[in-house]
Amino acid sequence: QDGLKQCLAEFRQQLTWVERLDVTLGPVADPVSQNASTSDAVDPENDFQREMSFYRQAQAAVLEALPRLRKLQVPTRRPDDYFAEMAKSDQQMQKIRQKLKSKQEAMERSEKAKQLRAMRKYGKKVQVEILQRRQKEKKNMLNAVKKYQKGLSDKLDFLDEEQTSSQGNKKGNASQRTKKGPNAKRRYKNQKFGFGGKKKGSKWNTKESFNDVSSFQSKVAHNKGPGKGKGGKGGKKALNKRPGKRARQKMKNRAR
Amino acid sequence: GKWKNKERVLIFSSRGINFRTRHLMQDLRTLMPHSKADTKMDRKDQLFVINEVCEMKNCNKCIFFEAKKKQDLYMWLSNTPQGPSAKFLVQNIHTLAELKMTGNCLRGSRPLLSFDPIFDREPHYALLKELFIQIFSTPQYHPKSQPFVDHVFTFTITDERIWFRNYQIIEEDASLVEIGPRFVLNLIKIFQGSFGGPTLYENPHYRSPNMHRRLIKLSVAAKFREKQQVKEVQKIKKKGTKVLVEEDPTEVVFETPAEEKPVEIQLVKPESKPIVKDKKKLRKIQRKKQKKLFRTER
Repeated sequence: QDGLKQCLAEFRQQLTWVERLDVTLGPVADPVSQNASTSDAVDPENDFQREMSFYRQAQAAVLEALPRLRKLQVPTRRPDDYFAEMAKSDQQMQKIRQKLKSKQEAMERSEKAKQLRAMRKYGKKVQVEILQRRQKEKKNMLNAVKKYQKGLSDKLDFLDEEQTSSQGNKKGNASQRTKKGPNAKRRYKNQKFGFGGKKKGSKWNTKESFNDVSSFQSKVAHNKGPGKGKGGKGGKKALNKRPGKRARQKMKNRAR
Repeated sequence: GKWKNKERVLIFSSRGINFRTRHLMQDLRTLMPHSKADTKMDRKDQLFVINEVCEMKNCNKCIFFEAKKKQDLYMWLSNTPQGPSAKFLVQNIHTLAELKMTGNCLRGSRPLLSFDPIFDREPHYALLKELFIQIFSTPQYHPKSQPFVDHVFTFTITDERIWFRNYQIIEEDASLVEIGPRFVLNLIKIFQGSFGGPTLYENPHYRSPNMHRRLIKLSVAAKFREKQQVKEVQKIKKKGTKVLVEEDPTEVVFETPAEEKPVEIQLVKPESKPIVKDKKKLRKIQRKKQKKLFRTER
């Protein structure tokens, strides 16, 4: 230890501070440091903390030294028109700038992609909503029209632009139904499934249709018509011409 | 002004260095305009030959890089005629050319040196500080130097090692960007003479890289050996001699033979159990029944 001190004493040079430009200072106080207790013991394993402590130490040194230098009239700032060789060549700096730019671009691209995806999702949602709304409107409109056709309501609120008022009036005068109208259950079902659920009902066997013999043609019924329209009635005649299964089999047996 | 402080530093290396060390050397040469280069030295020569080389080149300081086993790098810092010298183990080298170091500075501009306060506390650190100052500070009015001060070297002591960083000063309010090489020095010894002489200080925390690697291998081997031992012990336990228990004559006293059952012959087929396909459903039905009962009871 004494040897060290002696050696140091011999070795030390007497130089002005300007020559040496050394500063011994601890790091600048960190405004965002969590607790003061841990600021002393910088964990060397924690890379970020370590590098930040080095950075702050350098900052402290700079903050202390620059004013001194300025007082001693040593220039510190490089004027803008002073061009000299730099430690790293321009090519190197170009490479560095390229790398930084590419990193930034990659980040931006990923951000854009994310935004696009989010927007697409939103757009899709909006589109779906619009379609659903249109369908609902259409359904309502059709229901209202059907109501007219059945003659349940005589208001024309849904027909703002259309010109079917004449038709509506006719239907309206025809019936002045009672308030109840169809059953509650019927009404509920109508509302749920719409009026279009029941078809025309034109093929029912009602009393009227049973007693209606207007579509009877005796010639067709007795199969005595001329081949008036072979296309029209040909199918039936052809069918009648063919004997039945039993008759056919008899014929076959007889033939054998 | 006139250049008075005649410091010259000789930077060179031995043979067998790898690319990283070579780049580091070149970086130091560009950063320090008061440096001189020399050819590689053969390792067969003794170290005090370096003193002669320095004298020939008219240098009074020296940075010598020595690479061993193509893995470990040692750095000697010395004041050549008679002054002290120090040997370090260098780790974690990053060179100027790395793309993450975005700063730049004038070639040959004078650096600001920043030291940790710990350097003032111990005498060996104080000596090292003096050495660093003399070696790394560019003399004022050196013909190859630029007059501006635009970068700062930091020497920090953390984890018993000296960390070196180089930052570029961008603004007067001390915003910094890292430029330059970075490395970590692990002090081994300080000698009184240049590349020789009595040892002034030996770092107790230093462990040679060989020792380090050996310890790692030993620990791995020890783990393996332990596993083997445990296995052996288990084997012995399994095979081990079993204790023979003697026959106890009084045991028989409590034995009573079971009564003989009459032999039953079944003539009618027993009722088949209902096949339950779904036990859960059965259980569910049962539960519902119980609930109903419960409710009706209330």
